Amino acid sequence: MMRQIAIYGKGGIGKSTTTQNTVAALAEAGRKCMIVGCDPKADATRLILNRKAQATVMDLARQRGSVEELEIGEILLEGFLGVKCAESGGPEPGVGCAGRGVITAINFLEENGAYTPDLDYVFYDVLGDVVCGGFAMPIREGKAKEIYIVTSGEMMAMYAANNIARGVLKYANSGGVRLGGLICNSRKTDKEAELVSALAAKLNTHMIHFIPRDNQVQRAELRRQTVIEYSPEHAQCDEYRALAKKIAENKNFVIPTPLEMEELETLLMEFGIMDGEGAAA
Amino acid sequence: MSTLTQQTQKMIDEVMEAYPEKTRKLREKHVRPNDPTGECGSACAVKSNVKSRPGIMTIRGCAYAGSKGVVWGPVKDVVHLSHGPVGCGQYSWWSRRNYSNGITGVDNFSAMHITSDFQERDIVFGGDKRLAKICREIKEMFPLAKGISIQSECPVGLIGDDIESVAKKMTEELGIPVIPVRCEGFRGVSQSLGHHIANDSIRDHVLGKNTLEKVTDYDVNLIGDYNIGGDAWASRRILEEMGLRVIAQWSGDATINEFAIAPQAKLNLIHCYRSMNYICRFMEEQYGIPWIEYNLFGPTKIYQSMRKIAAFFDDSIKERTEAVIAKYTPAMDAVIDAYRPALKDKTVMLYVGGLRPRHIIGAYEDLGMEVIATGYEFGHNDDYKRTYPEMKEGALIYDDITPYEFEAFAKRLKPDLVGSGIKEKYAYHKMGVPFRQMHSWDYSGPYHGFDGFPVFARDMDMAVNSPTWKLIRRKR
Amino acid sequence: MIVKDHNELFKDTAYVEQFHGKREFENPCPEDVVHQTAQWTESADYKEKNFKREALVINPAKACQPLGAMLCALGFENTLNFVQGSQGCVAYFRSHLSRHFKEPVAAVSSSMTEDSAVFGGISNILEGLENAYTLYKPAMIAVSTTCMAEVIGDDLNSYIKSAVEKGIVPEGVEIPFAHTPSFVGSHITGYDNMMKGILSGVKGQVRVSPADSINIIPGFDTYTGNYVELKRLMSSMDVKATVLADISDTLDSPNTGRYRLFPGGTPISALKDAVNARSTIALQKYSTVKTGEFIKTVWGRDFQLSPVPIGIQNTDEFLDMVSAVSGRPVSHAIEAERGRAVDAMIDSHPYVHGKRFALVGDPDLLMGLMSFVLEMGGRPVHVLCTNGDAGFAKDAESLLRGSPFGDDATVHIGKDMWHLRSLLFAEPVDLLIGNSYAKFLWRDTKTPLLRIGFPLFDRHHLHRYPIIGYQGAINLTNWIVNTLLDEMDRKAMFTQSFDVIR
Repeated sequence: MMRQIAIYGKGGIGKSTTTQNTVAALAEAGRKCMIVGCDPKADATRLILNRKAQATVMDLARQRGSVEELEIGEILLEGFLGVKCAESGGPEPGVGCAGRGVITAINFLEENGAYTPDLDYVFYDVLGDVVCGGFAMPIREGKAKEIYIVTSGEMMAMYAANNIARGVLKYANSGGVRLGGLICNSRKTDKEAELVSALAAKLNTHMIHFIPRDNQVQRAELRRQTVIEYSPEHAQCDEYRALAKKIAENKNFVIPTPLEMEELETLLMEFGIMDGEGAAA
Repeated sequence: MSTLTQQTQKMIDEVMEAYPEKTRKLREKHVRPNDPTGECGSACAVKSNVKSRPGIMTIRGCAYAGSKGVVWGPVKDVVHLSHGPVGCGQYSWWSRRNYSNGITGVDNFSAMHITSDFQERDIVFGGDKRLAKICREIKEMFPLAKGISIQSECPVGLIGDDIESVAKKMTEELGIPVIPVRCEGFRGVSQSLGHHIANDSIRDHVLGKNTLEKVTDYDVNLIGDYNIGGDAWASRRILEEMGLRVIAQWSGDATINEFAIAPQAKLNLIHCYRSMNYICRFMEEQYGIPWIEYNLFGPTKIYQSMRKIAAFFDDSIKERTEAVIAKYTPAMDAVIDAYRPALKDKTVMLYVGGLRPRHIIGAYEDLGMEVIATGYEFGHNDDYKRTYPEMKEGALIYDDITPYEFEAFAKRLKPDLVGSGIKEKYAYHKMGVPFRQMHSWDYSGPYHGFDGFPVFARDMDMAVNSPTWKLIRRKR
Repeated sequence: MIVKDHNELFKDTAYVEQFHGKREFENPCPEDVVHQTAQWTESADYKEKNFKREALVINPAKACQPLGAMLCALGFENTLNFVQGSQGCVAYFRSHLSRHFKEPVAAVSSSMTEDSAVFGGISNILEGLENAYTLYKPAMIAVSTTCMAEVIGDDLNSYIKSAVEKGIVPEGVEIPFAHTPSFVGSHITGYDNMMKGILSGVKGQVRVSPADSINIIPGFDTYTGNYVELKRLMSSMDVKATVLADISDTLDSPNTGRYRLFPGGTPISALKDAVNARSTIALQKYSTVKTGEFIKTVWGRDFQLSPVPIGIQNTDEFLDMVSAVSGRPVSHAIEAERGRAVDAMIDSHPYVHGKRFALVGDPDLLMGLMSFVLEMGGRPVHVLCTNGDAGFAKDAESLLRGSPFGDDATVHIGKDMWHLRSLLFAEPVDLLIGNSYAKFLWRDTKTPLLRIGFPLFDRHHLHRYPIIGYQGAINLTNWIVNTLLDEMDRKAMFTQSFDVIR
């Protein structure tokens, strides 16, 4: 049974790193995985492929004139332990319509047999917020049924997480997609685990895992590798393995209950992240 | 309330019953029995210029149709680029019959379909780079083009392309005006906003950019005539015979230069008020040029309008005008004598765009026919105000009528003739109701002026009195 | 009373003078410059520049996806076309189809406006479906999209599901859908997407073991006469065939004094039973790509691609295919028709043999017409397909290379009718085959024109005559030979060759 999972989160929060390391852990455990990068930056697969960036669906489509001119083998590459990788690609910031690029790319992958029955997992690494219809493509009917939101204890990351939950709610009401939990990618803020857990509870979900900050991840990234490939014995690997296992065994799928802005601010104040004045301003 | 008004209201109520409640409540406000005084205020005024209801057929088009199809399209020496996917330009390709002189593809581009044919990559990465290239290629393919208008289609606005900056750059590079027109189809509620946007783009990029060497006291602009089947030419003939000098035609058979020199006219004469009042108001404010509405459908209105126009000028014009009227009156009387007997007392239902639903009533009356129902696709409040006095009390007035309502009213009112558009035409043919297209003149025309009236009379007669209608064997 | 309309009126001196006088204000190009430029557009130099165009498209011979989707859905009983997106598009589709078929065409839009662009089109589709169902009571609502809905990423599947869950449209009303972005492919792609959308989206399909019947998918075919002919052929062979989708009544309904919104079409019951057909035969390749794939993989049923049955050999192949899958022999009556068609072609061949042809149109139509022209001994020279892809180019080349009469031909894909203009000046032909817009080429290049294809706006009733089957071969022979003979007479008018017997 193929599980399709979408990972959302604010830009720069570590979505791609988390996704690729988790997928590496799943692959290590013998699972067949595919990553579909849904971000014009196209950096969702480089740690698996050990390269700068792969050719994206949209870039090739632009060169050739249309997606019909592409072969699946050109944009679906295999990396670490056979993990399949594709990137939607898209425009520079400020022009065109990146969301449409996501739609085009996923349609292309579907029509050209990328979703083989032997796959255990498909991960969509999706840019930031659910900002327009295109970025909801991965959670449309028949695609990802579970979503994880990567966040940290920082204020803006929590805002974003709540916002994404709002987007998920819309699709959860009309379709089958559910929130599987928050992943805390630690930024070492105060009471971070408690805060993210508290937000998770308010959102009717749980913090599925807390990934501590460790520079080993960055060292591996400099070599364009996941930490699991770079230093399989390192303790940080076990964090991703644990996350992978929790995702594999997760049964906690919910329709999220996003917070009103005031509620969220109250929560942040309770944890001393935001002072009363800040909230008023 | 008169009996007829009551009857009409009862009929409206019956027809509206078919809708879901929300839609019924909204639609009711768009259909009213006529009060010729227009004094009953908002209670009986026809609501207009609001969104059509989703899921119910509307006859309306979009802003692109209003700009590319109506205002800009007829400007013959400008290349009109349908900027976006291929469809919009394909479906509006030489379908409006805005006649013009010149050689297609050489110094006249109005019968061409020129498009950027957007592909998926243009949506995702934006179309601006390609737009610049397209402008260069237009200049190369059509070196005699006097300008390029960029008619934006929906995706261009949605993905946020900056066509204005491309246009500015290309204007400098190519040495001809490249004019961005933000007429994406999702803007506004009908063609109407497209007219306005197109007027504004003419104002911003063309108006007053050139001057005439010599001006006279009799210089006028002929505005809001798209030369359907040669209408503007028939109108121009009258104005010239009156002794006026038409320095610009807006926009049938127009060149971009005519827009540029227009502010030098002494008077703006506007036929289609709906689509071009904007530019007239602007010229009034900016250049102090007065404007008057006129109507060249049918002799009664023609004579009235000629005298109204002549009143703005000196006695020589007035005298010439009377002479012209005297010259044509026998011919017009002959047309009436020839056709009136077969058309007298025939009833007509109209549903057209923004002008003809009221302007053409007089022409029917000249032939002894009565318009019993009328309405606009994209009229505004001011159009309806101008319509009420033209119609009898209790006559039916409708706005953005749905084909369902139109057919339901036609079944009850049993008109002898329906005048509307191509989308409606064949439904009425199936119903056995004589029909003429009143947008395209059903591939005939002109209908304006002294030369147009005989054509109009002939066409109405052939529709109403064709023996083919009698061949229909109705199913019992 | 003699009335002069535009055809004659503007030749009057008064108007000729008026046009001349108007030039004072036009700032026109000098007449000699216009004349020189006009001549230059006919030159080899211009042709070279014309073919170097990379971004600009001039007079393309293609329309956009939702138009094709609409044509497809129009072929089903009691089916309302519902287009999610801007309303202007639907006005255009309806006008376009009405101008060709001279028939009323019903379709609704969800009238999305600026606010829908920001907030998505869900409220439009919900209200739209409620209104549409209440007012028109269709058995099926076929939803397609304009580019507006596609750019903002409207999710039809979830929207429609939510409409059904909310009970806006009663259960039992079928609401298949297809995403039909106009910036991908052309009208033939839209046809394919909608056909697949309908075959996959209609509920209540009960699968049993394959029955006796076969399905035939004509593809994007705008000849109502073809559908009638197809059904006649099948009934002559006593083959139980379901035509998916049958527009022969919906777009050619009898005048009974009563207007019906949904006249005819393939019955929904037959549509639901289509999954049980022994085999599905498609008569077009490029407008059934996804549909065929769906039938083969999801239905797991036999799907066969017939050559477009235009001309003798293609019709032979098609009927043999029908015969093979149905077990019914080709009837004697059809065999006799074949004989007549061949007889007609033999009788007319002297006027067609060696004549040079230019053809422009949809890929499948072109495959059929090329095959017919080659059978008659005509020589295709320019074959231009705006919406043809590399696959079409390959197919066309292989057809042309298979005949000595195809030696002169060049296949142009992705090119437009302005390219064709240059081609016709550079290498003239004896006959041009294309749609009504090809009349500009007829005028500019003085190439005789035969109107075959879509749209046909300026001639009446052509679409009522079949171009498929043996009857179609007779019609094509008639049109081709007599257009060539008309031209021959025009040229011979004041010579000794003005023959009365040909």
